[in-house]
Amino acid sequence: MTLNVLAGDVRVEGLSRRYGSTRALDEASFTMERGTTGLLGPNGAGKTTLLSILATINEPDAGRVSVFGLDPRHASQRVEIRRQLGYLPQELGYHRHFTVAEFLNYVAILKEITNRRTRAEEVARVLAAIGLERRAKARIRTLSGGMRQRLGIAQALLGRPNLLILDEPTGGLDPEQRLRFRELLSSLPGDPVIVLSTHQAEDIAAICSHVVVLLQGRVQFSGTPSELATIAADKVWVAPQRDTRAYLSWRGGDNRWRHIGEHPPTSAELVAPTVEDGYLLLSHAAGAQ
Amino acid sequence: MNAAGGPAPGGAVAGAPADDAAWSGVTVRSRAPKLRTVLGLAKADAWLLSRSVLILVGLLAGGAIIYVYAHPEQALWWNVAWQIGYGQVFIAMAVLVTAQLAAGRPSRNAMADLYASFPTSAATRTLGQLVGLLGAMPASLLLIGGTAAAVVLTGVIGFPSIWALAAGLLLVIAAGAVGIAIGRRFPHPLAGVLGALVLFVPFSQSNRFGGPIIWLYPWIKPDQLDYMPGPVAGYPPVGAHAAELAGIAVLAGLVALAVTASGARAKSVLAIAAILSLAATCLAGAAQLRAIPTADLNRLVQASVNPVSAQQCTTLGQARYCLYPDFGPELTSIQAPVNAVLTSLPVRPARQLTVAQVAVVSPDSTLTHGHPESQVSRWNAELNAGPGSGGGTASTIYLPVNVPPSDARFFLAMTAGEWAAGFPTTLSNSEGPQCLPYDQAREAIAIWLALLATHTPAAQLQSGLGAKGQDFVPLSPQGIFVPVWTYPGETVANLYSYAPQPTIAGYLLASAMTTLPEQRVSQVLKSSWSRWVNWQTTDEQLAAALGIPMPAVPQAPGPAPSGNQPGAASACTGSTDGA
Repeated sequence: MTLNVLAGDVRVEGLSRRYGSTRALDEASFTMERGTTGLLGPNGAGKTTLLSILATINEPDAGRVSVFGLDPRHASQRVEIRRQLGYLPQELGYHRHFTVAEFLNYVAILKEITNRRTRAEEVARVLAAIGLERRAKARIRTLSGGMRQRLGIAQALLGRPNLLILDEPTGGLDPEQRLRFRELLSSLPGDPVIVLSTHQAEDIAAICSHVVVLLQGRVQFSGTPSELATIAADKVWVAPQRDTRAYLSWRGGDNRWRHIGEHPPTSAELVAPTVEDGYLLLSHAAGAQ
Repeated sequence: MNAAGGPAPGGAVAGAPADDAAWSGVTVRSRAPKLRTVLGLAKADAWLLSRSVLILVGLLAGGAIIYVYAHPEQALWWNVAWQIGYGQVFIAMAVLVTAQLAAGRPSRNAMADLYASFPTSAATRTLGQLVGLLGAMPASLLLIGGTAAAVVLTGVIGFPSIWALAAGLLLVIAAGAVGIAIGRRFPHPLAGVLGALVLFVPFSQSNRFGGPIIWLYPWIKPDQLDYMPGPVAGYPPVGAHAAELAGIAVLAGLVALAVTASGARAKSVLAIAAILSLAATCLAGAAQLRAIPTADLNRLVQASVNPVSAQQCTTLGQARYCLYPDFGPELTSIQAPVNAVLTSLPVRPARQLTVAQVAVVSPDSTLTHGHPESQVSRWNAELNAGPGSGGGTASTIYLPVNVPPSDARFFLAMTAGEWAAGFPTTLSNSEGPQCLPYDQAREAIAIWLALLATHTPAAQLQSGLGAKGQDFVPLSPQGIFVPVWTYPGETVANLYSYAPQPTIAGYLLASAMTTLPEQRVSQVLKSSWSRWVNWQTTDEQLAAALGIPMPAVPQAPGPAPSGNQPGAASACTGSTDGA
């Protein structure tokens, strides 16, 4: 079907979700457009809850979501959202006795790719995309952890989804595979909306056009990676000794201390902040509150 | 990117509040791909089932169990078709476990979230899996085909009941549907194993249950089928049982769908369908509890008590052969050893020998339920007077219907020889002692005739000498132990527990006689036939007449108790006028 793409392809407004006495999401609001959005936050920040709501497998206690103008509260629209969706959960088991190709074929059917030839082509395409085409006939139980993670990404790519939700996709990938993953996301056709949850700030800096920082269930930041880095402008400095006024300090490879703090000394040697610096500063500020 | 709702320090930009019109601005058209999705899933699930190692194990176990139960008996389609179900029980158990594992797979493999994100609903997946149970059919059909091929090649009587075979297939489908229903609700692997045990226990404990209620269990082993002279309508009630299993399959499928369906309307439709299928299942169950019509049971009792009245008799050579209508193809196999004995006889008997089949039916409650006690007593009384209870007719050899003629070859030749040598073929209906032709020349003659007629390999003959060289039976009132010989196929002739028990002396003498030219032995016998078949003529006298030494006979370990002892055999005395 042709979707009526609105400004803000994915919109989240006032989203709240509780698990017992724990507030996982607290009136989270933001919008996402085509491109890659990084979702950054510590463990327990509500990232997975937010993504599961976006993936229509969880319902919020309050607030609403719109995906390409579709409201997941309506059953038929929820199904339509799922037709646009590729989802990689944070923790994914596998049917270990399936072969790689069988698993992808099965998922393709579940994604309603019912034409056999189309399905075979689609399976071959995603296998090639993640570099597992030579392991197509291997049983999943014989794959390494990194290969399984790539397989998880492959199943999410099936059907060329318009909304790709990837929860911690780079966990378990070695450095080369992480770079290849970045390459893969960058070359996806159709310019989908990609939501990427990660602990890796460098992934965000490398491939995301947008970043949302979620802390304690609340959206603490929404903007570009450079805007996130800018938060730490004039608040990162290096010195030969550790400065106790800094919120965070660590010694770098050059044996000098890198500091992040609100009040650098006047004589401090300021350095250009990174996304990670901005995130750490935000995280510290949220913790102080 | 816009954001709102949280404190946005630094350069964060607050997002605009959502415009209500923008939240649901899309009209969704259903692509309705459900059918093709269901078929696609069914195909994938069927493929997984068909290559399941567990089901292969079930198939092999099923084949083995059929072999164990069916192999020693005469293949009768009304029995074999039901016995194939024994094997289907094992396939059904494997399918139940496999289907349960498959249905619980998303939960067990931490893939429930992923599956929930797909446009295909859990109910559609369940439906696909239910249709995919067809993947168990190759194993089930292979069992039917393999068994059918085996029994056809070895000779089978009657025609297969399509309903019985269909019921076996439905058992597998029903077990799979139950497995899916269990797996959708209880994904733990043990749940399927427990389900399989619930299926297996009634089957393995069939002999503990009685009455028509046994038909309500998924599959059981009835006691009477292999003794039936032909199919009896309602035993087992195959049509109603197939309907019951179909009802269970549908009911389990509906339960599985109800577990996964969403929406009040869908659940209501499923509930109504489940009630209807439950009602149909109960009706099928009630139909299985119906009494077998009196006329059918009367026919069965008559066929057992007075076999010849229900049989087709043919005279071939010097004997009359009476077989139940379905057993015509066995005539050649039955008459061959008998005819061979009669042809070798030095002196033709005056009376005609009859070889008749017999059905040893026991009127248990699975047969007689629903009939008054008085009627059941009458049937019991009639059956007690039948040949199956030792009340047969002299000059008639009775062959149970469940004994393959190939296994009864020596038995037929031996009993024909005994009849020709003056032994009564059927003793009176008494609980008297077993008859032992101790030191009677006519015994060696009977065995010699059987040996000539059958050309049985020596190894088979000698295996009847006893595990440790010999078995001994006390002979009363002489107070001696007599070493006895068990001939090939003797144990199949259990109707004749009071028939003569061959001795080793008789066998050894007969073996020695086979070393002589047949014509020479015949001449000696013919010269004084009435003397040789007299029960008082001894082995020694026969050996002397033939000019051969009496073979050495194993000696008893000690004297037997003298006088009439319980369990001791008595000498076979008297003769028929067969010679």
